[in-house]
Amino acid sequence: MRGKGANASIRDRTQEFLGIAERVKKSYSSQNGPSSSGSKPLGPQTMAMQSEFNRKASKIGLGIHQTSQKLSKLAKLAKRTSVFDDPTMEIQELTAVIKQDITALNSAVVDLQLLCNSRHGNSNISSDTTTHSTTVVDDLKNRLMSATKEFKEVLTMRTENLKVHENRRQLFSSTASKNPANPFVRQRPLAAKPAGSTSAAPALPWASGGQSSSHPLPNNRNQKDGETQPLMSQQQHQQQQELVPLQDSYMQSRAEALQNVESTIHELGNIFNQLATLVSQQGEIAIRIDENMDDTLSNVEGAQGALLKYLNSISSNRWLMIKIFFVLVFFLMIFLFFVA
Amino acid sequence: MKITALLVLKCNQEGSDPVILANASDVSRFGFFQRSSVKEFIVFVGRTVAKRTPPGQRQSVQHEEYKIHSYNQNGLCALGFMDDHYPVRSAFSLLNQVLDEYRKTFGDSWKIVQADKVEPWPYLNEALNKFQDPAEADKLLKIQRELDETKIILHKTIDSVLARGEKLDSLVEKSSDLSAASQMFYKQAKKTNQCCTIL
Repeated sequence: MRGKGANASIRDRTQEFLGIAERVKKSYSSQNGPSSSGSKPLGPQTMAMQSEFNRKASKIGLGIHQTSQKLSKLAKLAKRTSVFDDPTMEIQELTAVIKQDITALNSAVVDLQLLCNSRHGNSNISSDTTTHSTTVVDDLKNRLMSATKEFKEVLTMRTENLKVHENRRQLFSSTASKNPANPFVRQRPLAAKPAGSTSAAPALPWASGGQSSSHPLPNNRNQKDGETQPLMSQQQHQQQQELVPLQDSYMQSRAEALQNVESTIHELGNIFNQLATLVSQQGEIAIRIDENMDDTLSNVEGAQGALLKYLNSISSNRWLMIKIFFVLVFFLMIFLFFVA
Repeated sequence: MKITALLVLKCNQEGSDPVILANASDVSRFGFFQRSSVKEFIVFVGRTVAKRTPPGQRQSVQHEEYKIHSYNQNGLCALGFMDDHYPVRSAFSLLNQVLDEYRKTFGDSWKIVQADKVEPWPYLNEALNKFQDPAEADKLLKIQRELDETKIILHKTIDSVLARGEKLDSLVEKSSDLSAASQMFYKQAKKTNQCCTIL
């Protein structure tokens, strides 16, 4: 209850209210002893609900306060990160804890609001109480929202810091090309495979030497990278810096070769697709040619039939022969007439 | 693209010279009188480089016209003397294979060897001959080569398919002309049949 009184928009008049309630109770019990038994059970009941509401609200306020304290600690940690000792584990734990707290507080505020609304169904509460409870709930929600916003800001600040560190690392060390990949992933091989990866390489089957050995070897390489960074002794750092570019270029060339193979296979797939398209188009052309030839065949057969009919009609047409003979005789007669 | 020698050595911790476990050298390129000195040279340089290679690291050293690639794997070190044209990656994958085979063949008995071994390991000699062509050692290189050949073949195929397409086009033209001509022929034949009934 004290925490709620800190906000200037609410005046904490609980003590006055309690005093008045006592007085009224005394005056009631003195005035009508028997009838007060009816109103009394209601009084404590509302009082009980009010105090339950107050209790919950105070718990939520306390939770929000603790969360904002943790948040300020996290902000300090995030600001503090230097290049070399990175309290990532602590930051991550703290982030997880704060997230859990915020979600719990969120659900608690929602419950409180529901309780508040359900109580407004009871008509025997004064309007002052309702406004008071709604104001309390709103205030708690606002505070929770501001805490969440701060949390988000801290997280963005942390990622920016990480990026700045990566850039700085790139400037000063030559092992840059491996690092920007994934600073978080780098830590997993450290945790998951402490020393087993080097013995995994000789255990590989003989036949698949080339390609599958590239998988434990990058892990080996990553582990070396992760181990050399925190070591921080100058000599080892320099020596390994010289050797590390060679391993790097070896791994890089392997990766490049694999990528080349993959792209070649892609192109080959493309070429096959084009080939299929061309061949299907040409198939259609071939079908058209076939249809044309069928048409030609039928036309020529029809024409052949017509000509045969013609031949038959000509060669077996006696009537036609008589007619021709008559025409010839006719011309002969006319010719003889005119000459003779 | 030549491998001159392949060596397997046992590297102790800093201080003592490495012990030769297997040696395969091809000195046929050199004149008869130089061969023994070349062998000595190989042994000496091999020991030096293996001594300087920390465990778990790969190293390439340039010496005159040779490149010496060394790979130290937990105390067992493999070296290869190659010329400049041999691709580095295939060299290291070859060394990897050699080490795997050595471990398979000899298990852990190499750890107790203290003096140089002189008997030859036939696998190493075979490897020397087989892997003169880097594609044999490096599967990636082999795959890349085959894929390139396949691509060339596919290009030729597509060219011939395009030529086929052109021929098909000309065929379709001719066949459509042919069918038009045959249709005219048919109509003519029908016409001559019909109009001579008077005569």
